Amino acid sequence: MSKHQALDTFGRSGNPIIRSSAFQEKTTSGERMSLEGAVNKTGILLFLTVLSAALSWNFQGPLMSLVSMLGVFTGVVAAVSTFGFYFFFVGWIINPRPHLAPKTGPIYAVGMGFMIGIISQQAEAMFPGIVIQAVSLTFFVAASLLFAYKTGIIRPTQNFVLMIFAATLGIFLTYFSSFIFSLFTGSSFSIFTDTGWMGIGISLFVVAIAALNLVLDFDIIEQADEQGAPKFMEWFGAMALVATLIWLYIEILRLLMKLRSR
Amino acid sequence: MNTFIAILGLLSALLFFYLLRFKASKKQTDRTNRPKWSKYIPYRDEEKKSKSNDADFSDN
Repeated sequence: MSKHQALDTFGRSGNPIIRSSAFQEKTTSGERMSLEGAVNKTGILLFLTVLSAALSWNFQGPLMSLVSMLGVFTGVVAAVSTFGFYFFFVGWIINPRPHLAPKTGPIYAVGMGFMIGIISQQAEAMFPGIVIQAVSLTFFVAASLLFAYKTGIIRPTQNFVLMIFAATLGIFLTYFSSFIFSLFTGSSFSIFTDTGWMGIGISLFVVAIAALNLVLDFDIIEQADEQGAPKFMEWFGAMALVATLIWLYIEILRLLMKLRSR
Repeated sequence: MNTFIAILGLLSALLFFYLLRFKASKKQTDRTNRPKWSKYIPYRDEEKKSKSNDADFSDN
């Protein structure tokens, strides 16, 4: 870096930590992300999810079950390699690698779509009309929260992020423990399958946390756009948004199933 | 009932993609207590790594 460039970038101090605003300044070289690009990528990923969900819905059988299991496995690997894995008091076990998102995003969307198709088809067979209700409610919640975010009614802060992050990690650890438990006993934790008020209350809590995760995704996309983040952040933001929408859809579906089986 | 819910869902999806294109209000963006996402998501580091592969010509 030449002397003039260094002064332009870091100011007179030369130390980027002293001049913290240097981090947030827009850079002009290379392709920059845009809100429009993030919206288009979100549309592409949702289209891929719906496409593979339609496939697994219509062609059920042992082969499709195997494809779905492989899809979920690759989807989880894609998500962990892009978003990383953080654990309390340990820190990042796997570092986030947002530059992978243009490749892992479509893999994730297709893989999770296969799983959604099978789950939705089974839910629809038990409770006709439930899938359209769950899809509609998912978009209704997402649009309402987006409106609240854009207008500034909901304003995420550092404490808000920590609270949502801790709750999300807690939910995933409970799901993971339940999964391990089911491998040995054949049944998962009763709090997840319980159709009483306790089970419905827990489902409502999980739906609320999944919905509030959307606010974090909106803020990631908005801030990356403001700071002139590189182009791959469009895919990263879209992937984060689609991952949360998929989670929210599954939780709403589970809640509706509990309510209708009472 | 389901037709009404389906229409509500379709309108919500359209509104979602429409609103996503707009920048957030000043009330949302102009505040000091916003979380700094670039601290958690290292997109600047990745950018630097890719740039470091380029030839560097000094003007001295």
